[in-house]
Amino acid sequence: MREFFERISKIDRRIIYLLVFIGVTIPLLTRKGFEFKPLQEVETAYNFIESLPEGSNVLVSIDYDAASMPELQPLLEVMLRHLFRRNLKVIMLGHWPLGLPLGQIALEKIAKEMGRKYGEDYVFLGYRPGIAAVILNIGKEIRGVFDVDYRGIYLDSLPIMRNVHNYSDIALLIGFEAGSVGDFWVQFAQARFNQKIILTSTAVVTPDLYPYYQAKQIVGLIGGLRGAADYEILVKKKGFAYAGMTAQTIIHIIIVALILIGNIGYLAMRRVR
Amino acid sequence: MIDTIFLWIAAGLTLAIFSFLYKDNPFYKVAEHIYVGSAASFWFLYLWFFDVEPKILGPFKEVFHAYGFWGMWAHFGATQWILFIPIFLSICMLLRFIPPVAWLSRWAIAFTVGMAAGLGITGALQGYIVPQTQATLLPVWSGDLLTSFNNIIIIVATLTTLVYFFFSREHKGIIGGFAKIGITFIMIAFGASFGYTVMARISLLIGRIHFLIFEWLGSLF
Amino acid sequence: MKKEVPLAITFISGFLLIVALFIPHEPFGSLQERFNDWYIIVSGFTLILGVDSLILYHWRKIKRKEKEAPYSIILISTFVIVLAWGIYSGVKYGNPFAPASSFLRYFYTYMFVPLQATMFSLLAFFIASAAYRAFRARGLNATLLLISAGIVMLGRVPKGEEAAPYFIGITLILLAIVSVLEGVSRVEVYEKIIFFGLAVVSIIAIFPAAWFLKFNLPRLADWVMNVPQLGAKRGLFIGIWLGAIAMAIRIILGIERTYLK
Repeated sequence: MREFFERISKIDRRIIYLLVFIGVTIPLLTRKGFEFKPLQEVETAYNFIESLPEGSNVLVSIDYDAASMPELQPLLEVMLRHLFRRNLKVIMLGHWPLGLPLGQIALEKIAKEMGRKYGEDYVFLGYRPGIAAVILNIGKEIRGVFDVDYRGIYLDSLPIMRNVHNYSDIALLIGFEAGSVGDFWVQFAQARFNQKIILTSTAVVTPDLYPYYQAKQIVGLIGGLRGAADYEILVKKKGFAYAGMTAQTIIHIIIVALILIGNIGYLAMRRVR
Repeated sequence: MIDTIFLWIAAGLTLAIFSFLYKDNPFYKVAEHIYVGSAASFWFLYLWFFDVEPKILGPFKEVFHAYGFWGMWAHFGATQWILFIPIFLSICMLLRFIPPVAWLSRWAIAFTVGMAAGLGITGALQGYIVPQTQATLLPVWSGDLLTSFNNIIIIVATLTTLVYFFFSREHKGIIGGFAKIGITFIMIAFGASFGYTVMARISLLIGRIHFLIFEWLGSLF
Repeated sequence: MKKEVPLAITFISGFLLIVALFIPHEPFGSLQERFNDWYIIVSGFTLILGVDSLILYHWRKIKRKEKEAPYSIILISTFVIVLAWGIYSGVKYGNPFAPASSFLRYFYTYMFVPLQATMFSLLAFFIASAAYRAFRARGLNATLLLISAGIVMLGRVPKGEEAAPYFIGITLILLAIVSVLEGVSRVEVYEKIIFFGLAVVSIIAIFPAAWFLKFNLPRLADWVMNVPQLGAKRGLFIGIWLGAIAMAIRIILGIERTYLK
């Protein structure tokens, strides 16, 4: 009996690794999806985008990199498709240099798929250092920060940018967040210029953003793979995130079970001592 | 063809990094050093293409093309002349690499630190502390039992957590009681954060395994 | 000169932004904009701080012919090759990150992204192993953390509510067993009564608890996230930001000078 408890309180880490690997791989191969209802904070984000008048400008900020790609990249594609389908204009920039091209790759891919034109329906501004300073100065005049797009073309020669000067010309800001840039967007663009913001974030930072949602500083919060899956359900196009949620369920059950087993071993061993 | 070769390189690098799970090995080390080396060069590319070129050289482009290097100086406007202040500070930043004048880099660092401090204060005050405090002023009785209960919990959780935060030395008497309630709420919050962190980490693995199965192996069949 | 000028620069730049928040009119508004613009330019140069020491560190390893030198050669040659490739693509396509650029299409997509993404996906294995090893119900607070983590982990994934009843069942049976064992070993009668009572309550609670979780777990997770979690996070962050403000004031006033070292 004692040996048994000792063994379950000391499972080799490689066995746990193998469990995790199998727990992710098999659900992906079987491609079985579970039904579930979207979270309320995701639904309000979706409804807000649905309520925007056609032709409105949406600023999209890429504040993540490949380290959190599976959580945010599929969601970015789904949201861009939704924005273009609703005939909204997309202005993209970013604060995380290493991930910025991910945003551009998705933008070009979806724009091509939906037949949108660069400079008319969407534009990619690129990156400038100094996060908060960039956000503040866009509130005055976006040309003060980006007088050219990423290729050096003047904003005034791009039809989409002709009437865009500051936040009052931007109906919505969507920030894709893997760190603290979301806080800067809220603290400067929302607090000072009353910009409407939806934050979509990796699961790591999502819990920290709930206070903003309750305080109505942001109009929607889409967190982690779950939020992405919710959004896929709302736009009625189930994809990567939805399929991934099955693996997520299996692994979460495995981890909770491991914690429980670890504790059984721990409590038993403590009694023996 | 080139795409196929690079797809295999991508898969090879992915597997090389996964091999670390068994134990540290040369394959992992090679992949790790490629990653660090390339990330380092990225910063130079970003500095040049998204800062130096558009922000520093950009404003001089037109005059330079019109009058050439020697002729342009006479035609600088206020925009160009004033730009020499940040250019000077940027050069100061780089002087760090030249020991006799390295102290000048402190001027640039002092500027960035002062700006960061000023931005930090204004953002935190206007964007977090004031609106979040306002949002905590919830009605204790809202007409429905559950909402009122939740409101009270939010108020109590915010206040007791703050008490715990600021009176971490002496936990006696009423303050001590508050701090104890505060730590309870903090534990619930950390638990929730942990749960979400697990979700995040697993998502990353789902992404990589999805790549290996569907993009790499999928390309074979 | 070496101390006073930097202190003055810090004071002026920091103080101006605070004044501009309260008096956004001229000249502070446009001065703030100007300073921000300079900050955008200058802070870009902080991106490459640290790269020099990285390269130098590996250069020295190569020169000393250390055992790990081959890896350092790989690092430095990658650095040079990638930089050259980026500059080449930048000149050819206007920007190395233009959609058509070979740098973006091949190097970034097929080498950099897989490396970074896989590096971080290793954390999935580590967190599973760490959860098993470190998450022990050592006291009331640790137990609360465990319960909250469990609710969120199972409540935020589909079908988590199907698994939760089994977990709560096992946990309560475990609690009952521990209580009985604890009760047997106690001498005082009232202690025995408390522990045996706890065991009985745990057994009785199994079905109601399982039933509750089966039908309410997602809602319970919602409540944890939106009520107690939110309150605590708000308190924590107000505290953190107040601390940051205090630190920033010390910096602006020149009391805190470690950044000048």
